[in-house]
Amino acid sequence: MEKVCVLGAGSTKYGKLADSIADITTQASVAAIESAGIEPKEIGASYISNVFGVADKQVHIGPVLMSRLGIPDKPSLTIESACGSGSVSFREAYANIAAGFYDCLIATGVEKVTHTGTEWTTTYFAYCSDFFYEGQAGASFPGLFASMARAYLTEFDATEEDFAKVAVKNHDNGVLNPKAHMQKKITVDDVMNSAVVASPLKLYDCCPFSDGASSVVLCSEKFAKEHGGDYVEVIGSGRGGSPAALQGRDHMTTIPSTKIASEAAYKMAGVTSKDIDFAEVHDCFTIAEVVDTEDLGFFEKGQGIQAVREERTKLNSDISINPSGGLKSKGHPIGATGIGQVVEMYDQLTGNAGERTVKDAKLGLTHNFGATGASCAVHIFQSV
Amino acid sequence: MSVEEQVIEHAKQGKLLTHKCTECGYLHLSTAYYCRECGSKGFEDVLVDGKGTVATYTIITVAPAGFEKFTPYAFVVLKLDDADLRISGFMEGIATPDDLPVGTPAKITGFDERGILIEKQ
Repeated sequence: MEKVCVLGAGSTKYGKLADSIADITTQASVAAIESAGIEPKEIGASYISNVFGVADKQVHIGPVLMSRLGIPDKPSLTIESACGSGSVSFREAYANIAAGFYDCLIATGVEKVTHTGTEWTTTYFAYCSDFFYEGQAGASFPGLFASMARAYLTEFDATEEDFAKVAVKNHDNGVLNPKAHMQKKITVDDVMNSAVVASPLKLYDCCPFSDGASSVVLCSEKFAKEHGGDYVEVIGSGRGGSPAALQGRDHMTTIPSTKIASEAAYKMAGVTSKDIDFAEVHDCFTIAEVVDTEDLGFFEKGQGIQAVREERTKLNSDISINPSGGLKSKGHPIGATGIGQVVEMYDQLTGNAGERTVKDAKLGLTHNFGATGASCAVHIFQSV
Repeated sequence: MSVEEQVIEHAKQGKLLTHKCTECGYLHLSTAYYCRECGSKGFEDVLVDGKGTVATYTIITVAPAGFEKFTPYAFVVLKLDDADLRISGFMEGIATPDDLPVGTPAKITGFDERGILIEKQ
């Protein structure tokens, strides 16, 4: 198997964007190509992650991107895995280079939904659930994660104020990220006083719907070395699944796919959770970050909330969780999110993360899932 | 009748249609086509009483399209008394967490445009 590297990375700003989905897909891809210092003609194919292209009247985005990059003869594949689409697209690109099919690929994620409004997005997101059992009964995504939060509050020593501290921490990080959607500090009181969306989750427990695109150039180690320039190594890749509906899981406070994916990634990389310096985890809601850090093995089950209280997940503490601001503050352009996490790995591990730099970081982990974790991918990156 | 239509018809009678694996006995919701435990395909239909307790829930105030007129309402995961299974559904008339502590006895009472309906016992 070929060693795989990330040679370049770029993102648009996340937030409410005026440009079309095709435009922002191209802007992020061009930024990644320029970061990598390659010519588009060196790219063998593209992997595009997108969920609601229909909202901006553009599905089958791959060929549109390739045409705009001046390589319309190169193949592309568009991938949907709900909010986990980006990491799956990255994984497909990774696997194709590892298998020797290509030397250099581009993986770009994109979403453009904010113009549709909250009702449209809430309704369409619910289609990512096991609809017969969940969406059909009025479950929204905040509602499904709120059900996990209610179970966590019942089972462990945790309060709603504790969940709020996750949001405060991620906004602190997001303020340091010029690409973040929500670049403002918030307090626990701000979270507690925000409108209830799905009890016990309030508006500021929830990530925003964002527009945005992120892109990375992947290549073989041989290509990276011949090419020169900064790159990071991908040393672990794992995927996993969970019962699609919450009701199918024995425990409501754990996401099985995270455990399966991370165990596979740790094994491939030859490392453990203790070796990871920083992680971008899927914090679509505050409860999710707590559950993620436990399922990834950073903390024991039920102890993730204690770690938040003790500020052990802040930037440059025991383990920096979501230095980018995470989905909560950086934003959640669904199809782009998993690729955006890889952009953060590249920026951190090549010394380009500015004020939010994780000091002496050598190993980073990305964790991105679809729906309530029905699908999940974990990747581990190493500085060179 | 499709599998989903069968679930709906039984929910209207307060029952949950389940699939019991004829090889290993593992009990699934009836939308299962292969056994999660042993991988085999043979099932017998078993009707389970729709009574149970609330495993977890949320009270939704920002609703998907079609549900705005029902807010606030609860989305409930019900743990059945007579089987090692959980089933989710819609519960009306829930405004605050005090209305529905985890562990509250509840039961399947029907099915309509709000999906499987669950009410407190």
